[in-house]
Amino acid sequence: MGGGFDRLSPRPSRWTRQAGASTGSALVHPTTVQVRFGHCENGHDHDFTVAGGCMAIQQQIEQPAARPMGKPKLGKLARREEREFYLFISLWIIGFILFDAGPILASFVISFTNWSMMTPPNWTGLQNYQRLIADPLFYTAMWNSLYFGIGSVGFGLIISFLLALLLNQKVLGISVFRTIFYLPSVVSGIAVAILWIMILHQDFGLINTVLSWFGIKGPGWLVQPQWAKPALILMSLWGAGGSMVIYLAGLQSVPQHLYEAASIDGAGPWMKFWNVTVPMMSPVIFYNLIVGFIASLQGFVLVLIMTNGGPANATLMFGLYIYRVAFQFFQMGYASALAWILLVVIMVITALQFLGAKYWVFYEGETVR
Amino acid sequence: MTTHHEEELAQEFKRRGLSRREMLQIGVRLGLSGAAMAAVLAACGQAPQQPGAGAAPTAPPATEPTPVSLFDPEEGNSGWPTNAIPDPTERVEISVAHSWDAVFFERQKQFDALFMQRHPNIVVKAENTPFGEYRQKYVAQAAGNALPDIMYCQFSWAQEFIKNGLFRPLDDYIAKEKDFNLQDFTLQSLVSYQRDGKLWGIPYDEGPANLYYNKDIFDAAGIPYPDETWDLEKLKEVALKLTQGEGPNKIFGLGELPSLGDSLVAPPYLMPFGAQYLREPREDECLINQPEAVAALEWWQELRDKGAVPSPADLQNVAWPAFQFGKIAMTMQGSWATPPIRAGAKFNWDIAMWPRGPKAHVTFSAGSAYMITRDSKNPDAAWIYLNEYLSTAGQSYMWGITGRGSPARLSAWPSYLNSKFAPPGAKYVEQAMRTIASHDIIDQPTGPQVTQAAGPIWDLVVAGQLSVREACDQVFAAVDPIIAINRA
Repeated sequence: MGGGFDRLSPRPSRWTRQAGASTGSALVHPTTVQVRFGHCENGHDHDFTVAGGCMAIQQQIEQPAARPMGKPKLGKLARREEREFYLFISLWIIGFILFDAGPILASFVISFTNWSMMTPPNWTGLQNYQRLIADPLFYTAMWNSLYFGIGSVGFGLIISFLLALLLNQKVLGISVFRTIFYLPSVVSGIAVAILWIMILHQDFGLINTVLSWFGIKGPGWLVQPQWAKPALILMSLWGAGGSMVIYLAGLQSVPQHLYEAASIDGAGPWMKFWNVTVPMMSPVIFYNLIVGFIASLQGFVLVLIMTNGGPANATLMFGLYIYRVAFQFFQMGYASALAWILLVVIMVITALQFLGAKYWVFYEGETVR
Repeated sequence: MTTHHEEELAQEFKRRGLSRREMLQIGVRLGLSGAAMAAVLAACGQAPQQPGAGAAPTAPPATEPTPVSLFDPEEGNSGWPTNAIPDPTERVEISVAHSWDAVFFERQKQFDALFMQRHPNIVVKAENTPFGEYRQKYVAQAAGNALPDIMYCQFSWAQEFIKNGLFRPLDDYIAKEKDFNLQDFTLQSLVSYQRDGKLWGIPYDEGPANLYYNKDIFDAAGIPYPDETWDLEKLKEVALKLTQGEGPNKIFGLGELPSLGDSLVAPPYLMPFGAQYLREPREDECLINQPEAVAALEWWQELRDKGAVPSPADLQNVAWPAFQFGKIAMTMQGSWATPPIRAGAKFNWDIAMWPRGPKAHVTFSAGSAYMITRDSKNPDAAWIYLNEYLSTAGQSYMWGITGRGSPARLSAWPSYLNSKFAPPGAKYVEQAMRTIASHDIIDQPTGPQVTQAAGPIWDLVVAGQLSVREACDQVFAAVDPIIAINRA
């Protein structure tokens, strides 16, 4: 073991620290999607860019003093392009205002009313928010969603990362393997639900059949309350291919010279993984964590089809509970209040994740904290 | 190469003497692939033709497709009632919301076509929405004050919709019609559509639950079929005897057991033992933790303990009703289960009355209705439609002749009993309706909350993690606050 290894955590090692100074390269696809993650301690902006299988961690060291002050004078062509920009984007903006922003604001107002959709709403003030404090199903649904979110995102991050590591090897037919592992994530939700109902079947399911080869009697995955949530978490790994592709793109953009430097210093595969790969991949892991957790907290369709919240409310997720209150009990005011609480919960969790990120997410080129 | 199903379909087409065009139209409606349709046509002795190929030079030009159906459009097209409300003097359009399966919607279109022939100034625009989406769709339309003129309404939603003012009372219209005769409707059929002393909807069906049984399983076991002498003890005894085998080949004696998450549970499972779930009809008191209710549910539980009913795992991915797949000897189902059983069962089956209990002989009955909505632009024209649609002639045309069953009007039952599409034991459906059917089912606006609160608790009984007695106490504790509003 060479000296100088950071053995405790995937913090930036000396190799990755060097990377910031030596590599300014960014692999940027012409059509990129950028997700801004904010500022590092030095006030630098960091963009995480995902593009059609190409990903780059792109550091933009901006010089505030160099920024032009005020609006620059535009030429004729630039003004025309500006008009066209607003013309083309206006359709999306109108759609967003009408079909997203409008209903979002409306739901906030509705959350202060008692509204069945069949008669005009009555203003009830904070009554709906007071009601949820005393509603046991609110806590059940919240617990179920958090359990599922932590379980599915936790396992999903690990499995998809490991798959990406495997599929990053240079072996014959690797493209075929990548396709095979990615395919499940493009299968429609309904088909996935039906398939997994069969896979998880107590008597004839694939999982219990395999367990029986080892003399283990498998549980009733979707029909026993204690197994229903683990079963859904297991099922959620089916879609790991989506995250895997993002990891794969990230892995391919880790500079090779970091591994070479580590090898020269005597690092083995594990040390290279822990001190080079993981720190360099931490923004990608962070991205998948944020997006995955939000998606899992909003999970609805698969649960509706597979268990409808049962057995014994073991899989009553928050989204399903909102749906049930809204479209089975027609209590739109209360459902809106639940939806806004979910938004607040998601924002708080996301904020905590961002706060925690500064302890483990490493952006290429950052100075050591 | 034709499959068994394609050959059957071809035989049916030939028997009905349908044209190639009609066969193709039915094939499209049934969702048959091109290859399957080609096989069917080939089996009929008619090879599919390329467009334009083989057309007779003297053939008339193509017009609108003729309506095709499994049912004769003209059969039952008579005996329409008189209308006290005059026809509109100018053309008006009425929209009617249905929730039929695709095949039966063809019959609906036949009825509408005949209606529009009789009333040229009324244009009927039928909307058909799958049952699973229906309630949400029309409640959303109610929010926009855009309900159709007439809409289908199931018993379990009716009170909530009426309470929220979605419908118009029909008493004034009925009073004007000398042919209407409200007494002709079964008493049970009207219960869910009355509120505040008014009638808000006209029921079209009200069917009792009966005992469907697989004759092949009974024959194989050498056990006589269920008959009028059966009581619930006999039902349990035979269900246990018929339960045999393991794994995928297991035969279950009975298809289902009571669940407190089911709004129909009381009449067939509790009332025969002198028990009740909620105090009907107001549903203002929960009685499920009373000793007789607990004892009744424990009595049924024995069948689960002995493996005589399928577990939730057994019923995963199985289309309703599971009885149609031949692994269940007996099942209790509403009369509306007949069409899917008739379509799916590849064995001999029949219907018997639900057996009597130690305290009473009861089964549930439930049904649906049509209402004129508050947003109707043409309520008079809507009433003319409703008056004919739900008259004796209309109910016979729609639910009697077609074998669909359980018309709400007593006078329409003979057409059902004489229908070639009715099941062999149809007379027991009528007999049950006349003698043992009870509408003491959960149908107040609090109903969905009651069943959603009780269902998860009962899941624990099904999973063997809670005793019946404990579950009844927990259900009482969960349900009583919900129905407190009904005591106001």
